[in-house]
Amino acid sequence: MTTIQPSRASRRLATGRARRRRSPAALLLLLAAAGAAAVVGLWWRDTPAVTGNADRLVNAGRITGLLAGYAIALVVVQMARIPALERRVGSDRVARWHAMSGRYALSLTVAHVVLIVTGNAMQTHASLTAEAVSVVTGYPDMEKAAIGTALLVVVGLISAAPVRRRIPYELWYYLHLTTYAGVYLAFWHQLSTGNDFAAGGRIARWAWYAMYGGVWLLLVWYRFVVPVRMNFRHRLRVLETVEEAPGVVSVLISGHRLHRLGAQAGQFFRWRFMSRGLWWSANPYSISAPPRPDLLRITVKASGGHSAALARLRPGTRVWAEGPYGALTAARRRRRSGKVLMIAGGAGITPLRALFETLPAASGDLTLIYRARRTEDLALWDELQAIAEERGARLRYAVNGPDGARPQITARGLRKLLPDIARHDVFLCGPPGLAEEMYAVLREAGVPDRRIHHESFEF
Amino acid sequence: MKRRHPVRRVVLSTAATVSGIVVLIGLKPTASTGGGAQAGGAAATGAGQRSGAAAPASASGASPKGVTVTVTVTGKTVQTKYGPVQVRLTFTGGRITAATALQHPTGNKISDKINAHAVPALDQETLTAQSATIAAVSGASYTSAGYKQSLQSAIDETRA
Repeated sequence: MTTIQPSRASRRLATGRARRRRSPAALLLLLAAAGAAAVVGLWWRDTPAVTGNADRLVNAGRITGLLAGYAIALVVVQMARIPALERRVGSDRVARWHAMSGRYALSLTVAHVVLIVTGNAMQTHASLTAEAVSVVTGYPDMEKAAIGTALLVVVGLISAAPVRRRIPYELWYYLHLTTYAGVYLAFWHQLSTGNDFAAGGRIARWAWYAMYGGVWLLLVWYRFVVPVRMNFRHRLRVLETVEEAPGVVSVLISGHRLHRLGAQAGQFFRWRFMSRGLWWSANPYSISAPPRPDLLRITVKASGGHSAALARLRPGTRVWAEGPYGALTAARRRRRSGKVLMIAGGAGITPLRALFETLPAASGDLTLIYRARRTEDLALWDELQAIAEERGARLRYAVNGPDGARPQITARGLRKLLPDIARHDVFLCGPPGLAEEMYAVLREAGVPDRRIHHESFEF
Repeated sequence: MKRRHPVRRVVLSTAATVSGIVVLIGLKPTASTGGGAQAGGAAATGAGQRSGAAAPASASGASPKGVTVTVTVTGKTVQTKYGPVQVRLTFTGGRITAATALQHPTGNKISDKINAHAVPALDQETLTAQSATIAAVSGASYTSAGYKQSLQSAIDETRA
């Protein structure tokens, strides 16, 4: 059996990369806002006057249309898996931005359609239906745009929380891919009917082409070229599976020169196992040990059909991986040294197990609290103990009492364990309920928000 | 992990967007006036001598010499994606008193339908603006852009 033993060598390898980096989130938001202002500037430049109510509606339609076209490009680029976004802002945060800006872009699109049709109907004194038909059939590229918009609306509807919860993740994912078709179809009418791009606005037109072309290149590069190259280089295969606890399985994955993947403790890959019934879905699982040149390990709790099927993986099965992604790494700390508390809940132990071994901290500065239902559910416990012993770290677990009572992790309890908890960096990983509860407790214990590092994946 | 307020966020972003658009549109003048006087003035000094199409008009006392000059100028033909556009202007006493599109895209149902509405609108806008600073008619971007170019060339003609 192959095991991953904590080793000084792997720690040295991993800690060398722990450079502290600021998240570029604020700068990116500023840039996005500047772009929106430039887009509205186009309208401003090309509109000498707005006369009458019909004209007001049409112009509001133009502004929302321009902004929608811009927002859609941003929504798509957020899903291009650009390393700077995935690793420095954090995949979870980018996914939330994507959902938020997606809703916004879709609202703008709908507003654009309604305003343009209503405004034109007022100008031509036609009924709304007649005008809608004539807008779609009468202008260049508008049939395409109508189909594209319909696709985008459908994608928006299936992504709304109540629908999303009722359909399988894979179905949702593949339907979501039709977004690309929708965006493509809706693109052309922007240039051929948009006042700001047709005829006069050559520079604006080229800027628009450049924006969409750039987004397309980033998509092709980071979602296709980079993963293909990586998988051909590293040739990942299942080495073996190990049951760590009831329903928790580790998958050991071998490959070539895996230290060149650049994966850091705390990060994850999206894994696709090329076996029957599994190949068509890619799931994000954190690596549960610092990567070794010949070996990666993920540890997965059986919660859905996919994770349960992993236990039956045959050695030698090909693995397709994309990554590394995620910003819950040592670089997330405010300072390079200083005390660190980790709180893991259930399967949330996986990224923290890797960090527990490699995160730079002096003896006595590192504490891990591991929450699970029962003692036998404490997956990887032996390894954690070995690391704690070697590093001089504190290791505590909290499990339900024999009567099923949940242990109370309170602000007072934490302060008793760590009197200077307010000066700790806290890494938090667990199911959403626990994470929220712990966040509140930590804040109550005096830990500032900027020192609570958390990644939440609610797919 | 900070507490999020989805409803508040939706309300705020909607309010911000709507008010932003309302303010932007409100800031625009309600009719094109800027540059109108200038173009008219230029036409007044240049019209009689230059265009060669000058015709003495019935006296009305509007022009400096007591004679109202009516000039007809034809702009250049501008090719658009859907066909040529050419504008003819009539200046009376330095003001644009008539604007007509001699050519505009025709020949298919769509162009005819759009331009039946757009061309008169552009003619009217020209009379109001007294310059080539006119707003494009929504849906007729190509015709509008061609119209503006031809219109500008006609105005330049009187000025040159």
